[in-house]
Amino acid sequence: MIRKIGGALGLSIILAGALFAVTNCKPKETGQLAPVEVREYQGQKLSSVNDFRENSIKGPQKVNINNYKLSITGLVKNPEEYTYAQILQNYQSYEKVVTLNCVEGWSATVLWKGFLAKDLIAEAGPLSEARVIIFHAYDGYTTSFPIEYIMNNDILIAYHMNGASLLPERGFPFQLVAESKWGYKWIKWITKIELSDDTNYRGYWEKRGYSNTGDLDKGFFDND
Amino acid sequence: MINNALKSHIAKAIVHWSLLALVVLYFVTGLGITQYRAVEAFTFGLLTKTLSFKVHNNLWFPFLVLLVLHIYQRIGKPNRTYK
Repeated sequence: MIRKIGGALGLSIILAGALFAVTNCKPKETGQLAPVEVREYQGQKLSSVNDFRENSIKGPQKVNINNYKLSITGLVKNPEEYTYAQILQNYQSYEKVVTLNCVEGWSATVLWKGFLAKDLIAEAGPLSEARVIIFHAYDGYTTSFPIEYIMNNDILIAYHMNGASLLPERGFPFQLVAESKWGYKWIKWITKIELSDDTNYRGYWEKRGYSNTGDLDKGFFDND
Repeated sequence: MINNALKSHIAKAIVHWSLLALVVLYFVTGLGITQYRAVEAFTFGLLTKTLSFKVHNNLWFPFLVLLVLHIYQRIGKPNRTYK
Protein backbone atom coordinates (compact mmCIF):
# COMPACT_ATOMS: atom_id res chain seq x y z
CA MET A 1 0.00 0.00 0.00
CA ILE A 2 2.76 2.34 1.04
CA ARG A 3 4.71 1.39 -2.08
CA LYS A 4 1.65 2.19 -4.25
CA ILE A 5 1.23 5.63 -2.64
CA GLY A 6 4.94 6.30 -2.97
CA GLY A 7 4.81 5.24 -6.62
CA ALA A 8 1.83 7.50 -7.35
CA LEU A 9 3.53 10.41 -5.59
CA GLY A 10 6.74 9.86 -7.53
CA LEU A 11 4.86 9.65 -10.82
CA SER A 12 2.99 12.87 -9.98
CA ILE A 13 6.25 14.67 -9.25
CA ILE A 14 7.77 13.48 -12.52
CA LEU A 15 4.67 14.53 -14.49
CA ALA A 16 4.57 17.93 -12.80
CA GLY A 17 8.27 18.43 -13.53
CA ALA A 18 7.75 17.47 -17.17
CA LEU A 19 4.77 19.84 -17.48
CA PHE A 20 6.78 22.66 -15.90
CA ALA A 21 9.67 22.05 -18.30
CA VAL A 22 7.35 22.01 -21.35
CA THR A 23 5.51 25.21 -20.41
CA ASN A 24 8.76 27.02 -19.66
CA CYS A 25 10.45 25.96 -22.89
CA LYS A 26 7.56 27.22 -25.01
CA PRO A 27 7.97 30.92 -25.91
CA LYS A 28 5.25 32.97 -24.27
CA GLU A 29 3.02 35.29 -26.23
CA THR A 30 3.35 39.00 -25.56
CA GLY A 31 0.57 40.18 -23.31
CA GLN A 32 -1.20 43.49 -23.69
CA LEU A 33 -0.89 45.78 -20.70
CA ALA A 34 -2.75 49.03 -20.20
CA PRO A 35 -0.89 51.93 -21.83
CA VAL A 36 1.43 53.79 -19.50
CA GLU A 37 1.85 57.46 -20.06
CA VAL A 38 5.26 59.07 -20.40
CA ARG A 39 5.90 61.55 -17.59
CA GLU A 40 9.24 62.95 -18.77
CA TYR A 41 10.40 63.74 -22.28
CA GLN A 42 13.91 64.91 -23.17
CA GLY A 43 14.45 66.11 -19.62
CA GLN A 44 11.14 67.94 -19.50
CA LYS A 45 8.62 66.93 -16.87
CA LEU A 46 5.17 66.24 -18.25
CA SER A 47 1.76 66.53 -16.67
CA SER A 48 -0.45 63.52 -16.23
CA VAL A 49 -3.64 62.98 -18.21
CA ASN A 50 -5.31 63.17 -14.81
CA ASP A 51 -4.13 66.76 -14.33
CA PHE A 52 -6.79 67.98 -16.74
CA ARG A 53 -10.09 69.20 -15.37
CA GLU A 54 -13.25 68.14 -17.11
CA ASN A 55 -14.92 71.30 -18.39
CA SER A 56 -16.47 70.37 -21.71
CA ILE A 57 -19.92 71.65 -22.60
CA LYS A 58 -21.73 68.30 -22.44
CA GLY A 59 -19.34 66.08 -20.50
CA PRO A 60 -16.98 63.43 -21.90
CA GLN A 61 -18.07 62.03 -25.26
CA LYS A 62 -17.78 58.37 -26.14
CA VAL A 63 -17.15 58.26 -29.87
CA ASN A 64 -17.77 54.90 -31.54
CA ILE A 65 -14.65 54.49 -33.63
CA ASN A 66 -16.35 51.95 -35.93
CA ASN A 67 -18.78 54.61 -37.19
CA TYR A 68 -16.42 57.55 -36.83
CA LYS A 69 -15.58 59.75 -39.83
CA LEU A 70 -13.51 62.91 -39.92
CA SER A 71 -14.85 65.07 -42.71
CA ILE A 72 -13.29 68.06 -44.40
CA THR A 73 -15.85 70.24 -46.10
CA GLY A 74 -16.72 73.76 -47.20
CA LEU A 75 -14.50 75.79 -49.47
CA VAL A 76 -12.26 72.96 -50.63
CA LYS A 77 -11.72 71.36 -54.03
CA ASN A 78 -11.97 67.80 -52.72
CA PRO A 79 -14.29 67.34 -49.76
CA GLU A 80 -13.34 64.10 -48.09
CA GLU A 81 -14.17 61.76 -45.23
CA TYR A 82 -11.62 59.68 -43.40
CA THR A 83 -11.85 56.87 -40.93
CA TYR A 84 -9.63 56.89 -37.85
CA ALA A 85 -7.44 54.15 -39.35
CA GLN A 86 -7.04 56.03 -42.63
CA ILE A 87 -5.79 59.11 -40.81
CA LEU A 88 -3.27 57.11 -38.80
CA GLN A 89 -2.04 55.22 -41.86
CA ASN A 90 -1.96 58.02 -44.43
CA TYR A 91 -0.57 60.99 -42.56
CA GLN A 92 2.92 61.54 -41.24
CA SER A 93 2.91 61.65 -37.46
CA TYR A 94 4.74 64.25 -35.39
CA GLU A 95 5.46 64.69 -31.69
CA LYS A 96 5.67 67.90 -29.75
CA VAL A 97 5.55 69.01 -26.13
CA VAL A 98 2.98 71.78 -25.78
CA THR A 99 1.36 73.34 -22.72
CA LEU A 100 -2.37 73.84 -22.56
CA ASN A 101 -3.37 76.91 -20.54
CA CYS A 102 -6.96 76.93 -19.41
CA VAL A 103 -8.83 80.16 -18.71
CA GLU A 104 -9.77 78.62 -15.35
CA GLY A 105 -6.17 79.07 -14.24
CA TRP A 106 -4.67 75.59 -14.55
CA SER A 107 -2.26 74.30 -17.18
CA ALA A 108 -0.91 70.95 -18.39
CA THR A 109 2.28 70.21 -20.32
CA VAL A 110 1.89 67.15 -22.49
CA LEU A 111 3.77 65.24 -25.19
CA TRP A 112 1.31 65.28 -28.07
CA LYS A 113 1.48 63.00 -31.08
CA GLY A 114 -0.62 63.49 -34.16
CA PHE A 115 -0.69 64.73 -37.71
CA LEU A 116 -0.45 68.25 -39.04
CA ALA A 117 -3.77 69.97 -39.68
CA LYS A 118 -2.23 71.71 -42.68
CA ASP A 119 -1.38 68.36 -44.34
CA LEU A 120 -5.02 67.32 -44.26
CA ILE A 121 -6.28 70.69 -45.45
CA ALA A 122 -3.67 70.97 -48.20
CA GLU A 123 -4.76 67.61 -49.55
CA ALA A 124 -8.38 68.79 -49.65
CA GLY A 125 -7.24 71.84 -51.63
CA PRO A 126 -8.53 75.02 -50.01
CA LEU A 127 -10.20 77.45 -52.38
CA SER A 128 -8.85 80.97 -52.59
CA GLU A 129 -12.00 82.40 -50.91
CA ALA A 130 -11.40 80.37 -47.74
CA ARG A 131 -10.54 82.66 -44.84
CA VAL A 132 -11.54 80.73 -41.77
CA ILE A 133 -11.24 77.13 -40.60
CA ILE A 134 -14.09 76.00 -38.39
CA PHE A 135 -13.62 72.88 -36.27
CA HIS A 136 -16.73 70.98 -35.22
CA ALA A 137 -16.86 68.47 -32.39
CA TYR A 138 -19.02 65.45 -31.63
CA ASP A 139 -20.81 67.29 -28.81
CA GLY A 140 -21.73 70.32 -30.96
CA TYR A 141 -18.83 72.45 -29.77
CA THR A 142 -17.16 74.61 -32.41
CA THR A 143 -14.24 76.99 -32.66
CA SER A 144 -12.56 78.74 -35.55
CA PHE A 145 -9.18 80.06 -36.66
CA PRO A 146 -7.92 82.23 -39.47
CA ILE A 147 -6.66 79.94 -42.23
CA GLU A 148 -3.16 81.44 -41.91
CA TYR A 149 -2.86 80.23 -38.30
CA ILE A 150 -3.36 76.61 -39.37
CA MET A 151 -1.49 76.71 -42.68
CA ASN A 152 1.52 78.77 -41.53
CA ASN A 153 2.16 76.89 -38.29
CA ASP A 154 2.76 73.27 -37.41
CA ILE A 155 -0.54 72.77 -35.64
CA LEU A 156 -1.14 69.19 -34.59
CA ILE A 157 -4.36 67.26 -34.52
CA ALA A 158 -3.41 64.83 -31.78
CA TYR A 159 -4.40 61.22 -31.24
CA HIS A 160 -1.84 60.35 -28.57
CA MET A 161 -0.85 62.14 -25.40
CA ASN A 162 2.14 61.15 -23.30
CA GLY A 163 2.64 58.05 -25.45
CA ALA A 164 -0.85 56.64 -24.96
CA SER A 165 -3.98 56.91 -27.04
CA LEU A 166 -6.28 59.81 -26.14
CA LEU A 167 -8.85 58.90 -23.53
CA PRO A 168 -12.54 59.62 -24.24
CA GLU A 169 -12.54 62.43 -21.67
CA ARG A 170 -9.47 63.94 -23.32
CA GLY A 171 -10.97 64.08 -26.78
CA PHE A 172 -10.62 60.66 -28.41
CA PRO A 173 -10.22 60.25 -31.32
CA PHE A 174 -8.75 63.69 -32.14
CA GLN A 175 -7.93 66.88 -30.26
CA LEU A 176 -6.54 70.05 -31.74
CA VAL A 177 -3.26 71.20 -30.18
CA ALA A 178 -3.83 74.91 -30.66
CA GLU A 179 -0.52 76.10 -29.30
CA SER A 180 -0.25 79.76 -28.23
CA LYS A 181 -4.03 79.79 -27.79
CA TRP A 182 -6.20 79.53 -24.68
CA GLY A 183 -7.53 76.10 -23.82
CA TYR A 184 -11.04 76.71 -25.20
CA LYS A 185 -9.51 76.76 -28.70
CA TRP A 186 -8.16 73.20 -28.15
CA ILE A 187 -11.26 71.51 -29.49
CA LYS A 188 -11.76 67.84 -28.55
CA TRP A 189 -13.70 65.04 -30.30
CA ILE A 190 -13.20 66.66 -33.73
CA THR A 191 -15.62 65.36 -36.35
CA LYS A 192 -15.58 68.02 -39.05
CA ILE A 193 -13.19 70.63 -40.41
CA GLU A 194 -14.98 73.25 -42.45
CA LEU A 195 -13.34 75.93 -44.55
CA SER A 196 -15.38 79.09 -44.77
CA ASP A 197 -15.23 82.71 -45.93
CA ASP A 198 -17.26 83.88 -42.93
CA THR A 199 -14.79 85.96 -40.96
CA ASN A 200 -17.57 86.86 -38.51
CA TYR A 201 -18.06 83.24 -37.48
CA ARG A 202 -17.86 82.72 -33.71
CA GLY A 203 -17.48 79.41 -31.93
CA TYR A 204 -19.26 78.20 -28.79
CA TRP A 205 -17.40 80.26 -26.19
CA GLU A 206 -16.58 83.06 -28.61
CA LYS A 207 -20.35 83.67 -29.01
CA ARG A 208 -20.49 83.96 -25.23
CA GLY A 209 -17.93 86.74 -25.05
CA TYR A 210 -14.56 84.99 -25.20
CA SER A 211 -11.88 86.35 -27.50
CA ASN A 212 -12.16 85.01 -31.05
CA THR A 213 -8.40 84.85 -31.58
CA GLY A 214 -7.88 83.26 -28.15
CA ASP A 215 -4.28 84.42 -28.11
CA LEU A 216 -2.46 83.46 -24.93
CA ASP A 217 -0.65 86.78 -24.73
CA LYS A 218 -3.99 88.59 -24.45
CA GLY A 219 -6.84 88.31 -21.99
CA PHE A 220 -9.54 85.87 -22.99
CA PHE A 221 -12.19 88.59 -22.75
CA ASP A 222 -10.21 90.99 -24.91
CA ASN A 223 -12.17 92.18 -27.92
CA ASP A 224 -10.50 91.19 -31.15
CA MET B 1 -24.34 109.69 21.93
CA ILE B 2 -26.96 106.99 21.48
CA ASN B 3 -27.40 108.07 17.90
CA ASN B 4 -23.67 107.70 17.23
CA ALA B 5 -23.59 104.25 18.83
CA LEU B 6 -26.61 103.25 16.79
CA LYS B 7 -25.01 104.58 13.62
CA SER B 8 -21.82 102.69 14.41
CA HIS B 9 -23.79 99.52 14.99
CA ILE B 10 -25.65 99.91 11.71
CA ALA B 11 -22.39 100.60 9.85
CA LYS B 12 -20.85 97.48 11.37
CA ALA B 13 -23.88 95.41 10.46
CA ILE B 14 -23.78 96.69 6.88
CA VAL B 15 -20.07 95.82 6.56
CA HIS B 16 -20.51 92.41 8.16
CA TRP B 17 -23.48 91.38 6.05
CA SER B 18 -21.96 92.82 2.87
CA LEU B 19 -18.78 90.88 3.51
CA LEU B 20 -20.75 87.71 4.07
CA ALA B 21 -22.69 88.30 0.85
CA LEU B 22 -19.45 88.91 -1.01
CA VAL B 23 -17.86 85.72 0.32
CA VAL B 24 -20.92 83.75 -0.79
CA LEU B 25 -20.81 85.47 -4.19
CA TYR B 26 -17.10 84.69 -4.50
CA PHE B 27 -17.82 81.06 -3.75
CA VAL B 28 -20.83 80.78 -6.07
CA THR B 29 -19.11 82.52 -8.99
CA GLY B 30 -16.07 80.30 -8.44
CA LEU B 31 -18.36 77.30 -8.78
CA GLY B 32 -19.92 79.03 -11.77
CA ILE B 33 -16.52 78.79 -13.45
CA THR B 34 -15.40 75.30 -12.50
CA GLN B 35 -18.83 73.62 -12.28
CA TYR B 36 -20.57 75.80 -14.81
CA ARG B 37 -22.92 73.18 -16.22
CA ALA B 38 -24.47 72.53 -12.81
CA VAL B 39 -24.55 76.19 -11.77
CA GLU B 40 -26.12 77.29 -15.05
CA ALA B 41 -28.82 74.67 -14.66
CA PHE B 42 -29.36 75.50 -10.98
CA THR B 43 -29.71 79.24 -11.68
CA PHE B 44 -31.90 78.63 -14.77
CA GLY B 45 -29.19 79.95 -17.06
CA LEU B 46 -28.84 83.20 -15.14
CA LEU B 47 -25.29 82.67 -13.90
CA THR B 48 -23.34 81.63 -16.97
CA LYS B 49 -19.66 80.80 -17.01
CA THR B 50 -18.87 84.06 -18.78
CA LEU B 51 -20.80 86.09 -16.21
CA SER B 52 -19.20 84.12 -13.37
CA PHE B 53 -15.76 84.95 -14.71
CA LYS B 54 -16.56 88.63 -15.07
CA VAL B 55 -18.05 88.91 -11.58
CA HIS B 56 -15.44 86.71 -9.90
CA ASN B 57 -12.52 88.58 -11.43
CA ASN B 58 -13.92 91.94 -10.30
CA LEU B 59 -14.75 91.00 -6.73
CA TRP B 60 -11.26 91.26 -5.28
CA PHE B 61 -11.33 95.04 -4.77
CA PRO B 62 -14.70 95.37 -2.97
CA PHE B 63 -13.78 92.24 -1.01
CA LEU B 64 -10.50 93.84 0.09
CA VAL B 65 -12.22 97.10 1.06
CA LEU B 66 -14.89 95.33 3.10
CA LEU B 67 -12.33 93.07 4.74
CA VAL B 68 -10.21 96.05 5.81
CA LEU B 69 -13.31 97.85 7.14
CA HIS B 70 -14.38 94.73 8.98
CA ILE B 71 -10.97 94.32 10.63
CA TYR B 72 -10.85 98.02 11.47
CA GLN B 73 -14.26 97.87 13.08
CA ARG B 74 -13.20 94.95 15.24
CA ILE B 75 -9.66 96.02 16.09
CA GLY B 76 -9.68 99.80 15.67
CA LYS B 77 -12.60 100.33 18.00
CA PRO B 78 -13.55 98.14 20.93
CA ASN B 79 -17.06 96.71 21.07
CA ARG B 80 -19.61 99.19 22.27
CA THR B 81 -23.10 98.50 23.35
CA TYR B 82 -25.93 100.94 22.94
CA LYS B 83 -29.11 101.21 24.94
